[in-house]
Amino acid sequence: MASVKRKSIESQQEDHPLPPPQKQLREDNSNNNSRSSKIIGHGEAVACLHDVSYPGNYVPPFSSITQTQKDSKPAKEFPFTLDPFQSEAISCLDSGQSVMVSAHTSAGKTVVALYAIAMSLKNQQRVVYTSPIKALSNQKFREFKEEFSDVGLMTGDVTIDPNASCLVMTTEIWRSMQYKGSETTREVAWIIFDEVHYMRDRERGVVWEESILMAPKNARFVFLSATVPNAKEFADWVAKVHQQPCHIVYTDYRPTPLQHYIFPSGGEGLYLVVDEKAKFREDSFQKAVNALVPKVEGEKKRENGKWQKGLNVSRLGEESDIFKMVKMIIRRQYDPVILFSFSKRECEFLAMQMAKMDLNQDDEKANIETIFWSAMDMLSDDDKKLPQVSNMLPLLKRGIGVHHSGLLPILKEVIEILFQEGLIKCLFATETFSIGLNMPAKTVVFTNVRKFDGDKFRWLSSGEYIQMSGRAGRRGIDDRGVCILMVDEKLEPSTAKMMLKGSADSLNSAFHLSYNMLLNQMRCEDGDLENLLRNSFFQFQADRALPDLEKQAKVLEEERNSMVIEEEENLKNYYDLIQQYKSLKKDVRDIVYSPKHCLSYLQSGRLVCIQCTESDDKSPSFLIEDLVTWGVIVNFDRVKGVSDVDVDDAIRKPENANYTVDVLTRCVVTKDGVAKKKIKVVPLTEHGEPLIVSIPIDQINILSSARLYMSKDLLPLEVRENTLKQVSEFLSRKPSGLPMDPEGDMNIQSSSYKKAVRRIEALEHLFEKHEIAKSPLIKEKLKVLHTKQELTARIKLIRKSMRSSTALAFKDELKARKRVLRRLGYITSDDVVELKGKVACEISSADELTLTELMFNGVLKDIKVEEMVSLLSCFVWQEKLQDAAKPREELDLLFTQLQDTARRVAKIQLECKVQIDVENFVSSFRPDIMEAVYAWAKGSKFYEIMEITKVFEGSLIRAIRRLEEVLQQLIEAAKSIGETELEAKFEEAVSKIKRDIVFAASLYL
Amino acid sequence: MRGIEISLNQTQKIRLQRALKQLESLYLRANFNASVTVADTIPVSNEDTILKGHGTSERDGEVVATLCGVVERVNKLVYVRTLRARYKPEIGDIIVGRVVEVAQKRWKLEINFSQDAVLMLSSMNLPDGIQRRRTALDELNMRSIFEENDVVCGEVRNFQNDGGIQLQARSQKYGKLEKGQLLTIPPYLVKRQKHHFHHLEHYGVDLILGCNGFIWVGELVEARDCIEEDQLNNTEQQFTKSNTTKEMPLETRRSICQIANAIRVLSILGFNVTLEVILETIDLSRTLNLGIDEMLGPEFHVLVAEREAERRTSMTKRKG
Repeated sequence: MASVKRKSIESQQEDHPLPPPQKQLREDNSNNNSRSSKIIGHGEAVACLHDVSYPGNYVPPFSSITQTQKDSKPAKEFPFTLDPFQSEAISCLDSGQSVMVSAHTSAGKTVVALYAIAMSLKNQQRVVYTSPIKALSNQKFREFKEEFSDVGLMTGDVTIDPNASCLVMTTEIWRSMQYKGSETTREVAWIIFDEVHYMRDRERGVVWEESILMAPKNARFVFLSATVPNAKEFADWVAKVHQQPCHIVYTDYRPTPLQHYIFPSGGEGLYLVVDEKAKFREDSFQKAVNALVPKVEGEKKRENGKWQKGLNVSRLGEESDIFKMVKMIIRRQYDPVILFSFSKRECEFLAMQMAKMDLNQDDEKANIETIFWSAMDMLSDDDKKLPQVSNMLPLLKRGIGVHHSGLLPILKEVIEILFQEGLIKCLFATETFSIGLNMPAKTVVFTNVRKFDGDKFRWLSSGEYIQMSGRAGRRGIDDRGVCILMVDEKLEPSTAKMMLKGSADSLNSAFHLSYNMLLNQMRCEDGDLENLLRNSFFQFQADRALPDLEKQAKVLEEERNSMVIEEEENLKNYYDLIQQYKSLKKDVRDIVYSPKHCLSYLQSGRLVCIQCTESDDKSPSFLIEDLVTWGVIVNFDRVKGVSDVDVDDAIRKPENANYTVDVLTRCVVTKDGVAKKKIKVVPLTEHGEPLIVSIPIDQINILSSARLYMSKDLLPLEVRENTLKQVSEFLSRKPSGLPMDPEGDMNIQSSSYKKAVRRIEALEHLFEKHEIAKSPLIKEKLKVLHTKQELTARIKLIRKSMRSSTALAFKDELKARKRVLRRLGYITSDDVVELKGKVACEISSADELTLTELMFNGVLKDIKVEEMVSLLSCFVWQEKLQDAAKPREELDLLFTQLQDTARRVAKIQLECKVQIDVENFVSSFRPDIMEAVYAWAKGSKFYEIMEITKVFEGSLIRAIRRLEEVLQQLIEAAKSIGETELEAKFEEAVSKIKRDIVFAASLYL
Repeated sequence: MRGIEISLNQTQKIRLQRALKQLESLYLRANFNASVTVADTIPVSNEDTILKGHGTSERDGEVVATLCGVVERVNKLVYVRTLRARYKPEIGDIIVGRVVEVAQKRWKLEINFSQDAVLMLSSMNLPDGIQRRRTALDELNMRSIFEENDVVCGEVRNFQNDGGIQLQARSQKYGKLEKGQLLTIPPYLVKRQKHHFHHLEHYGVDLILGCNGFIWVGELVEARDCIEEDQLNNTEQQFTKSNTTKEMPLETRRSICQIANAIRVLSILGFNVTLEVILETIDLSRTLNLGIDEMLGPEFHVLVAEREAERRTSMTKRKG
């Protein structure tokens, strides 16, 4: 694959490594270079990187030159000067070639999309614009509609003018259109994928890959993405699978530079950590960390390591951090501000703390009220009384807003509009606000530096930070954007740097197989699953990693082979013996000094022999004897594990808990950096301070039978020094330290202990025989051998991962999944799709296998419509509710039926060697909203069903909308099997749930 | 032997009868009691709810067949699979049809179904391969793509509200079929398979087994999927046009006739027409050194029937 690299900052003299389409490109080059250098002349470093990926053996078409000349007049002109990256991308479009634009959210990627649309409309071609989110599609539809009139919209909820030349849709819709062979696929010249970095989404990412792979051969693409470091890789892939050149325009440029501040919790001020020139300021970072007010001990205990420090309720009379923060922002006129937090509840909670603040003038208040009520006008009177609606207005009037997915869609949209109008000064939002339509603020605040990702609270990734901080700074209004990080725990400078200045997340494939995809591919004559897998981005990335791995393995192998050791065989033998000996010793230690046996001997004053801290972590010692030292036990303590909540239980079984022993011994303390101290245990004879250290129980080497008299107060240095002196004296008299006899003194009678001891004796015998042990350089030799062994192990690991990636990815899984489909009778042994398979083909918004089985088992047939809707709700509800009430009996019965079916499906999958956790799969169907949906289908008002469940309004609405999508798919499915009664039933169900506020049209339409 | 009309002498008749009986006995073992005629009651247990699929209806609390055929059950779904019936399209079927009318933005195709199928202009790739909206000019030039009586191949895309079907031509390999034979056989002899397009490079022949019983045997056409070629300019287009008028070699013509005759024999005997069986039949004729015309003679029919009987018996034996 040849490539032409061209950096705008660099001069024209750069050598081009043999670009295939020489003439045209060079012409193009000089043009652009002069243009961009002109801009640089103005003193603004707005660099962008332009690169082209060509497919293998690509021959440039002759026609393209004439085409560019013909289209000399731009399809669309903009009232402002374009940034270099924009004009660069547009010049690619003009030459009729695909382009991938990777830039920050605020940089203005939409310009490129607009140009592509204008160009297609001019050429009477169709253009498809896909976005990952329905709400975003709605917004874009409105934006494009104002610009060009010939625009249509297709989302799962609404379809407007599907015959328009420019179609805005969600990526899922576009995929299913391609499977169905819609007319649009034959008329579309340009396909715009917005936010294409969604491709790394674990669940939905595969949709992008499928859509790109199936796209018509002659179509051209515009990919708009957040900054991704591997944009080139992505473009290479597109070039390869579509056999067309694909340009990359990459820029890090932000129209408004950012300043990053840290706000230490409990502190007073802001500390500038990264300035607008992207320089990290160590000194002020240090000041910020030091200004962190440590929590009161009692409070810390109460919280027990919980994360919700941001939620710290203000103590009596004191203002909460968040309140102080907002006040400061307003005072410094840093508003409007977006405050990001990572949960819906936290979002609302923080907004509630602002209750005392009023940020709006009277005329603004009146404005808000009119806008609000004119939007709410489309709701019925009952719905207007919903608590969420009525509670929101007073908050909004004071200039404070909340934005998260739990809100009613209509409220969310009103808030977006008010925010854009500048009527909301302070918006509490979740991460979802950071993608999509340009809604910048002057300031962005991160209320937390950790985010819960399903199983733990981890640091924010730099990619997430970049995405969210992209909302800071309004182009043309602010000269700089402000990012404030609220920090409430000690932060390493490296962590902070990683977060604030790290690179964007790279675009990695999240490809996976689904039954729906398999069936759809098998159903169509051209479908070739193996080909799809081979062409997937996943496979592409795996193939690409291969040479790298190969190189690594080669380097390591060379290194290994270069190490020559004399008498290697002999030495190896000795090495193995040592390893064996060590592991046996450890076994013995584990038995003797398990808490069960030794707890009763850990009295204070007992002498103890412990292992020294390894001086160098990399090379463990190879001596038969470990480096040990002596100390005195002071105390022992049980480690409070996370799991043992029940204290009584833990006390009953002391042997299962973890213990640490506090030992007084000689240590060396080294200060590493600022925050962390390193304590090293050293032998008694060396220099160091007498200190008490906590060590895990398994570091005890020997317990002595002797005990010292110890002073109660060990605080004074002299006392500790004296105690250690006593230890030394004792040891000089009794060098062995009078170890306790495990069998005699400690009464250990386990057979495994005896066996291990016998084997140690045998080994010790062998050591003596070994001649090599007497060799003078034995220590060094062993060290070399050890590194060599490690290298071998690493090479093995690399080879293994190479083997797995040379094979076609997912090949085994594909086989397994086909086996499942055959077992369940969805396809024949010749891969011809059967009746059941045709039904499952139609279902893409719910688990296709379980739902199809349910349908063919007649479950949906003999229940009432409301019950059916309620049952189907289990397929679309994914959130976990902790204390949801069980649904009534007849619904619960249905749910059990569903679970049985799901379990059967999962078990068959497991038997066919598909990797699946049966119980996890079964519990992925949640009955939490069955009652609410039942009531909704019965005709209840929305406020009534909100009283039934404790879920967020927005979540419920989303679930019901998705339910309607599933029903529409089921109607198609029923049609294909000729079951007219069932079809009618699904139709009835749709008409029952599709009403009122749940399906209220978007304000953007 | 019903429906087989070939003049046979006495021994041939007996041999054919024996072979067919053998085949029948194999079939009978499979499912006999499940066959129904119109108005037969289909037995279902009353406790379970059932789903009533195609060819069934409910009368007085009983499930009644509305078609002749075999009752099939998939879990709780009951439907009747017809044995001999008109073609019934399903989405994704590959079919071959003949243009009967050029209408507004669409062609109407005879496809052996109760209604003519519709192929929209927009469901076709344009000959120049450019992705764009269809214009009035394109509409005027529709006859340059397909005319009346052209043979066209397509894929069933979806059902219209009136039960008619819409076709689509997904890629370049669909479309007009030229220089070959169109055979019409009973559609139930074509089973749905993974592939219906067969490029027999060995014979230089393209074989399309349309699910609707229309079978195309024609000259091998290179699949034009290369983009560069699609974007050809006028000179190249003329070049391909002249290319199509080129004489077809005699050998290819013979192969086409041979394959067509093999299919004819199979359909007369009422055997399923699959690529495998067709190739076997041709091999048989070649080993016997039969002329193409002789393939339609009575002796070859009998031989094919005997062979098929033998093959299926051995197959069931292997299975059993």
